[in-house]
Amino acid sequence: MKPQPFLRTFVFPAALCALGFLAAMATVLQYSLRAYVPGSLEAGELTLDNFSALLKPLYARVFLDTVWICFLTAVCTLIVAYPIAYALVRAQNRLIKAAILIIAVTPLFLGEVVRTYSWIVVFGNNGFINSALLKLGVIDHPLQIMFTSFAVITALVHVTLPVMVIMLAAALAHIDPTYERAAQSLGAGPIRTFVSVTLPLSAPGIIAGVTTAFAWTFSAFATPQLIGGGQVNMISNLVYQLGLASFNFPFAAALSVAGLALTFAILSLLRFAARPLEKFGPH
Amino acid sequence: MKRLCFLAFGLGLLLLAWPAAAQDKLVVSIWGGSWRDLVAETVAKKFTQETGVAVEFITGGTIDRLNKAKLAKGNPESDLNFTTSHVGWLYANDDLYEQLDLAKVPNAANLVEQAKISPYHVGTWAYVYTIGYRPDLLPGASFESWADLWKPEIKGKLAAPDFDPSHIIVVSALLSGGDAAQWEKGQEKLKELKPSFKAYYTNDANSQQLIANGETPVQVILSMNAHHMVSQGVPIKLVIPKEGAVLGIDTIAIMKGSKKVDLAYKFINVMFDPAIQAEVATLKKGSPVVTNAKLSPEVAKLPGVFSSPEQWKSQAIIIDHKLRAAKTAEWRKWFAENIMN
Repeated sequence: MKPQPFLRTFVFPAALCALGFLAAMATVLQYSLRAYVPGSLEAGELTLDNFSALLKPLYARVFLDTVWICFLTAVCTLIVAYPIAYALVRAQNRLIKAAILIIAVTPLFLGEVVRTYSWIVVFGNNGFINSALLKLGVIDHPLQIMFTSFAVITALVHVTLPVMVIMLAAALAHIDPTYERAAQSLGAGPIRTFVSVTLPLSAPGIIAGVTTAFAWTFSAFATPQLIGGGQVNMISNLVYQLGLASFNFPFAAALSVAGLALTFAILSLLRFAARPLEKFGPH
Repeated sequence: MKRLCFLAFGLGLLLLAWPAAAQDKLVVSIWGGSWRDLVAETVAKKFTQETGVAVEFITGGTIDRLNKAKLAKGNPESDLNFTTSHVGWLYANDDLYEQLDLAKVPNAANLVEQAKISPYHVGTWAYVYTIGYRPDLLPGASFESWADLWKPEIKGKLAAPDFDPSHIIVVSALLSGGDAAQWEKGQEKLKELKPSFKAYYTNDANSQQLIANGETPVQVILSMNAHHMVSQGVPIKLVIPKEGAVLGIDTIAIMKGSKKVDLAYKFINVMFDPAIQAEVATLKKGSPVVTNAKLSPEVAKLPGVFSSPEQWKSQAIIIDHKLRAAKTAEWRKWFAENIMN
């Protein structure tokens, strides 16, 4: 093995960050095992009460709702992002490529809160959608779009889209176009070429994108908080409502630990389920 | 060699100047945005004029600043702290505050009783959480009592804060023959209100946005927010129900370990200057906490602005601040489990 004198120099800062991160996680875990003392900022004695409180049906429902919202967001983001990523990679014209890239990536610069507020303007009773439909005479009173799962998922898809586009574009860029040309030269039409060649070869990118979108969405807070309006709650909203805003830091820690454990479990399942697809991908 | 000497000299000057600069300012911890601006443009300005000492602000949310203060215990980042009355008890219970000697604050002689929260923190201005509604979106509606929120026509129109359900919990208890300590008496009544809730707002901006665009034409709303929206042209009517409106008081305290305690007392004294209290009330439409503040008739007549002892007694529902600090988590949990989800 070649000597790598700079390895320690480069690894050391990352190792320090990892140590800090582990220390923070250990603190959260320690807090989750301590009792809440009303009116005090100090946690009490060791207890499992915080975790046993999570066995209530309400929390199971919120955890399941979170998983379902994350799954739907990941799938919808994939459906919307794939054509954008494909166009980005396959466009011949540089200007068009640049325009697609800017449109896809620019939302990242705005931040989640700004993007969420823009959706409130679209979905509100006096928002763009309702105003347009009322003016066109399609409806005679505003549709209730805000404070619904549909609104939350739509906004989350918008938040997650740039990341998915970038990941899919990276995967699609590694697919040699000659494979598609070869399929077409053998008589496959565009759809068959896509389904038989392009889609399977982009499987690793799809898996990475969906997994990332799922994990990214799991920690969403501002979007469900503002657009959900307390009617659509994810785990992070519960951590805020029942933990931080109540100064019940031990329970907030327990919710966080449970959420993290669920994330690991779901991602492991996704990884296991996606194994058969990993044999595809560029050779 | 010469360069090294000059560098060392310059560094030495810098190091000498640094602690001196730190001693020339008083650090105040407060919420950001308009709250920081309010204190900066009124209290801090006069304080600096009188003492020649600059004021620096550390801003952040209630919980963030509480956490930071806890972590910095004994070596506080600020000399003074603004927070809500019940959260102030959390600071006090964790030994983060100095015990106040109000004899060092001459203007505190005119403090209303309701502003004397604890031996450690005192009120700076007051407001209420009460019923605010859009008469243009609810024609013919009237709210004489908190019980009117339970009317069938309010179904799916109401919003309340998700960060603090204490107001509606205590109101439900009062309507059911209980009070803050016996809040369980109001649980069934509050469950009956569940269909009326359309949304729960997460902060002041969210509250203002929801009522301004008509999403939730009725709210349990902070009076200052309602008055601000009215000044922006949003037609909101604020009501003080016959049972009273739930009082909220923001407070000030000196952080334990502050090295500028004398200056901190002077700042507090400026805070209670009647002219400053009147200015704060005019700007924010909150209640002054001193009896000798002179308010203009337009401000004094605003709902939720208490300018007389009778108003403090008859129009305010006061939740014991220490009880509230102890009960907040329990109330939040019950509200989230039974009403919000």
